[in-house]
Amino acid sequence: MTYTILGRCARTGRLGIGIATFSITVGRYAHSAKAMVGVTVSQAFANENNNQIALRLLDQGFGARATLEHLKSNDAYYTYRQIGVIDRTGAAAAYTGPGVRGWCGEVVGENYIATGNGLVGRHVVEAIAKGFLAERDADLEHRLLMGLEYGRDAGGQGTVDRHKAERSAALLVYSRDPYPDIDLRVDLHETAVEELRAVWAEYKKYEAYYRHRGEHPRGALGQEAFMATLKAAE
Amino acid sequence: MTFSIIARCPRTRRLGLGITTFSIAAGGRCEGIRHGIGICKTQAYVNRGNDLLALHMLEAGLSPAAVMKRLAENDPDHEFRQIAIMDREGNACAHTGSGTRPWSGHQVGDGFAAFGNVLAGPHVLEGIVKGFLARPGDDLEFRLMAALEGGRDAGGQVGQDGHLPERSAAIFVASEPDHFDVDVRVDLHPEAVAELRRVLEEFKLYEVFYRERGHRPDLAMTQDQFVATLANR
Repeated sequence: MTYTILGRCARTGRLGIGIATFSITVGRYAHSAKAMVGVTVSQAFANENNNQIALRLLDQGFGARATLEHLKSNDAYYTYRQIGVIDRTGAAAAYTGPGVRGWCGEVVGENYIATGNGLVGRHVVEAIAKGFLAERDADLEHRLLMGLEYGRDAGGQGTVDRHKAERSAALLVYSRDPYPDIDLRVDLHETAVEELRAVWAEYKKYEAYYRHRGEHPRGALGQEAFMATLKAAE
Repeated sequence: MTFSIIARCPRTRRLGLGITTFSIAAGGRCEGIRHGIGICKTQAYVNRGNDLLALHMLEAGLSPAAVMKRLAENDPDHEFRQIAIMDREGNACAHTGSGTRPWSGHQVGDGFAAFGNVLAGPHVLEGIVKGFLARPGDDLEFRLMAALEGGRDAGGQVGQDGHLPERSAAIFVASEPDHFDVDVRVDLHPEAVAELRRVLEEFKLYEVFYRERGHRPDLAMTQDQFVATLANR
């Protein structure tokens, strides 16, 4: 029981993932993007090594479809996996094995995959895609969050009469660097999607400051002094 | 304003990193830990490329001291960084630049390095080390957790206006190349170390279940069934 949006920004080439689930610490399974290479996810009965294998295959030059086929042929239990792969061109391929539980499936388009299992129904992944596509010119991290929020608002995980809470969530975006632009997590919370949006909103205030003080430490403001400027601007 | 520990478990050879700080989402800036290779963590004024660059050099076979020397040569602002490096055998070294904010310093021991800046004083490092060494037979993630708690309880971070709370914290432990054994984070919380302890304890309840359902999905119970077994303990 998990729902996920994989996305590529057609304008900037940035790649990212938003994921939310009932399981705790789901961010463990979302170290799954690489700048200029691709983004992937393995969920349901997750093969924990799949993400890095997929990123290596994408880095070698395999496209999304071939990468997905490699993962399947490498895994005796692939019929229990739910996998999504987007390559650097925006081509997307996804798979939901017959062993995955609950309502499960995906909506696949150019530059995105909305995928999930243990969901209330197909309308959840359709809503995730709709959320992702709602503001095409916005920053990718916001679009990924919108995908998660639309999925949550469409009923998310569980059944119509028994909703399963999102207890963890994560948001990861790579741009040009070998390290992520955005890497935010909520590992254990009663409403993890709301909390992830709150963490992101707070982080956005600091993002440029954190980058700048590392690149230009001479004369950089202390964090207390920076926070005073935030307060003054309110 | 951060305190951290990098360490290797001599019993299992697992590598680990524990960090806490006033800044938000510190765990999202910890790329420098890889099983079978080593650890590098840069803090204070962070040169984001440093840690991955250091891993490349460790992978090439350079010693932690040689890696540190090359990081210094590569960085005109090296004196503003605080860096700890460990190889896969647990050999470690550390650097606390003169431009980092006081009190800042590090302590390198057998299989660990503790380091921090904008701290209440050197006794915070002593608290970290004492916490780490208290129960050497424990799993590495719990030793790292005890180290962070030891640093917090010794006074933690103190800036120009007094004590600074831990707002984010994280622990990573690796025993395989392609995923972490333990990867728990608190990105924004008024008492992040206490919250990290809660997340870690909860994760440990699920750890084997999560691993095994991936290894043998054909035998896996549902999470609802598993949660029920937890309730019946």
